[in-house]
Amino acid sequence: MPRFLSRRGFLLTGAALGGTVLVAAVGGVGYLASVDVDGLDGHLDGERAVLNAFVVIHPDNRVVVNVPKTEMGQGIHTGLAMVVAEELDIPFDDRISVVFPTEAHPAYSTWFNVLQIRPEEASGPAVWVGRRVLGQLGFIATGASGSTMGMWHPMRVAGASARHMLLAAAAARLNVPAMELATGDGFVRHAASGRRLSYGELAHEAALLPPPDHPALKPTSEWRIIGRSQPRVDIPAKIRGEPVFGMDVTLPHMIYAAIRHAPVFGAQVARIANEAAVRSQPGITDVTVIDGRKVAVVAGSWWQAEQAARLLEIDWTSTDADSVSSAEMSARLRSAFESTTPYEHINDGNAASVIADAVTSAVIEADYTVPFLPHACMEPINATVLVRDDGTAEAWVSSQSPMAVRRGAARGAGLAGVEPISVTCNITMNGGAFGRRSDQDVVTEAAFLAARHRGRPVKLIWSREEDIGRGLFRSHAAARLRAALGPDGLPVAYDALVAAQSITQGIASRNLPFTPGPDGDRLSVEGLDKLHYPIPNRRVRSQHVPSHMPIHFWRSNGFSFNTFFTESFIDECAQRAGADPLTYRRALLRDKPRHLAVMNRVAEMAGWGTALRPGQGRGIAIEECYRSVVAQVAEVTVAANGEVRVNRIVCAIDAGLVINPDAVVAQMEGGISFGLTTALISAITLDAGAVVESNFHDFPMQRIADAPEIEVSIMESTEPPSGVGEPGVVPVAGAIANAIHAATGRRIRSLPLAVTETIGERRTRTVLPPVAT
Amino acid sequence: MVSLIVNGSRMDIETDVDKPLLWVLRENLGLLGPKYGCGIAQCGACRVLINGEATPSCVTPVGSVAGASVVTVEGLSQPNGTLSAVQQAWIDEQVPQCGFCQPGFVIATTALLKATPRPTDAEIDEAITNICRCGTYPRIRRAIHRAAALLAER
Ligand code: FES
Ligand code: FES
Repeated sequence: MPRFLSRRGFLLTGAALGGTVLVAAVGGVGYLASVDVDGLDGHLDGERAVLNAFVVIHPDNRVVVNVPKTEMGQGIHTGLAMVVAEELDIPFDDRISVVFPTEAHPAYSTWFNVLQIRPEEASGPAVWVGRRVLGQLGFIATGASGSTMGMWHPMRVAGASARHMLLAAAAARLNVPAMELATGDGFVRHAASGRRLSYGELAHEAALLPPPDHPALKPTSEWRIIGRSQPRVDIPAKIRGEPVFGMDVTLPHMIYAAIRHAPVFGAQVARIANEAAVRSQPGITDVTVIDGRKVAVVAGSWWQAEQAARLLEIDWTSTDADSVSSAEMSARLRSAFESTTPYEHINDGNAASVIADAVTSAVIEADYTVPFLPHACMEPINATVLVRDDGTAEAWVSSQSPMAVRRGAARGAGLAGVEPISVTCNITMNGGAFGRRSDQDVVTEAAFLAARHRGRPVKLIWSREEDIGRGLFRSHAAARLRAALGPDGLPVAYDALVAAQSITQGIASRNLPFTPGPDGDRLSVEGLDKLHYPIPNRRVRSQHVPSHMPIHFWRSNGFSFNTFFTESFIDECAQRAGADPLTYRRALLRDKPRHLAVMNRVAEMAGWGTALRPGQGRGIAIEECYRSVVAQVAEVTVAANGEVRVNRIVCAIDAGLVINPDAVVAQMEGGISFGLTTALISAITLDAGAVVESNFHDFPMQRIADAPEIEVSIMESTEPPSGVGEPGVVPVAGAIANAIHAATGRRIRSLPLAVTETIGERRTRTVLPPVAT
Repeated sequence: MVSLIVNGSRMDIETDVDKPLLWVLRENLGLLGPKYGCGIAQCGACRVLINGEATPSCVTPVGSVAGASVVTVEGLSQPNGTLSAVQQAWIDEQVPQCGFCQPGFVIATTALLKATPRPTDAEIDEAITNICRCGTYPRIRRAIHRAAALLAER
């Protein structure tokens, strides 16, 4: 076992993260100092020349780029490979391939997401300790729109370093000074003598040279790849239908499993009433309870396993949540507004007293809500695990987190009484992820089954019904927003209170060795503070509202609800002030040139202010998130019968320097579709503690007939890259709600904004809810 | 035992006749292009051509299509690897994000263009009812028009 995976290291660093001073102990520092975060020394692996942790060159000139980031459709494999190709000075063509490395080398750790310091700016003891602790933990994950921000610089350096080593190898071979050599097209050339050597010819010698300390990076003026759209490296295989997803993993002697989770979260399996009957179904080899809380059926075919699982008659224990309905959940959120002990995140000035003292006509108060939501990734949740007789384990998972896979596999096997001596983790392509695939749940289950069926790979697939109704959720949330407007109509005081179930606590309780308290959850208040609006008195608070529902990351987390709340509310303020929503925001953003530029760009694209037909309206929303600034204008039509259609959404984003522009456009398009489905269609309801919705017939998705026209504009920038995976989702709901208001005068303050009606086979339409009387 | 012509080859399959074609393709024949997304004919990820018609294979018992010709996404390109016009258009427009839904869209489009060589946007809306959670719809629309144009040239 490599030293960075040792159990001792894990415990040590787990404790350190828990806040103890253990790492400061002499032994701890000495131990951590030995953690190599900067790279893997060059070496040979058969005929492959490994130049560093990220660059591998084959004798036939093929270059393999190790990208320790999950490809889930965002194009990260392409973007980071482009960065390496740029510095390596090779064309971006099919000689380049990308793999997700199976090793958990510390150089692959996702420390940026935790420390929130860009690698190019990172220095000092906190970074030193943080990098080593997280490297030691094997903390490798993809999320928080942080992959490019966290990896582009290290991968630039890796590419530049490899190029330097190739030059040095060529200088030695040709016996000329390196200064006389140049690279291009995958060759090192010596112009004076007309000689050239391919990278493949040089790679073996290069891999054994010491890496340069600070390799010079290519000046941006010489970039030929970064900033120019390149075709995605993962697309051809996907178009040919090649088996690239976890769902497609096929191994010799593999068996399949289906599963049933409790309808009411937290319930235990009391009894399987018809276990013998299920066991006697064709092909069934095992029926078992996992961890007291779920039932799995194993067969030679998933279809057989699932058919048998459908027959299961399971008695679940009763829980406190057995009578909980959506109405009660909403009441709990509302009652949180009366909490006397909300957590105070920001209290600048005297927001509460300024609002209390203001004249009624200057005070605005509004409550907003959103429901629980599942992720509904297109690829259903699945994992394949093999526990061998020699005690080693291997997992193949469409996961966002090798750490979750390793921990889940160890835990699951442990539940079956097997302690794996190692877990090899293979990360496949993800068929959508949206935060969902960072949980270890399905791996734990598959590993439990694999430990019971040692020597045979077990592929566990959750049915779509398990995914939508029995899995993990974005928290429901409500906010009470209040403001007092000054004489110029702009807010002088802003008081925001959000009620939601702690996201961080939910995730940690299932996945980490330590669970923080629920109060003050940073993820729950994302998008609530509106710091880019200069308001002199500002209070931002949150109240954790517990429930039995398991809460998880969900594309853009708190922004997915708070930005809907706050950008709707700003429109309400503008309306009270008698101002146009765009003009009002421009006034608020007058000292924020970056935001203002994005706002102006999107307004221009939208033709803001030009005439629309009756029943049509435009709405605007803007947010700063993941270090990007994104604004959208939605244009909607509301028919006389209330049917609402989003005709067009325009989007401008300042995401700093953009590596692969077309991939950023795609992320905005995809984010808009995701956000639009959320805004208009998606709702989870609870009855007797259980989720009612189960599949796409009652949890519908947008289809092509309802997809608006989308235009995206990327702002020019020389700032370092910022996030793009989530920002596209963030303004959509607010922009659409504001557009509906512009079209109809109706202010709808809860999501979904519309009611979905089925009008035929795979056809729905969205209609505004009846006006409450 | 059920016989099918799958991507041009005759296959004799030892299987329960009730087993959906999707799972026969995936588990018995190792054709993993057709995907499971919902199992209830809602998402279209499992679509294959059955005698030329784009059909959700997740709700099609294999026994009900005995003797039929089945084409999966794997069967669209030529034996030398040349992609079909639809597949090529999908690459040219850089359609897929995660890609999980795309075999179903490619199959649905293949059938649409056979029946309606130059579809209008309204005809596309009518015929293409698959789900893409990643939201690649604008590119799918462009790729359908591009494929139609490519086929008209060929
Ligand atoms: S899996 Fe067949 S339509 Fe969804
Ligand atoms: S590309 Fe991911 S679901 Fe369509």
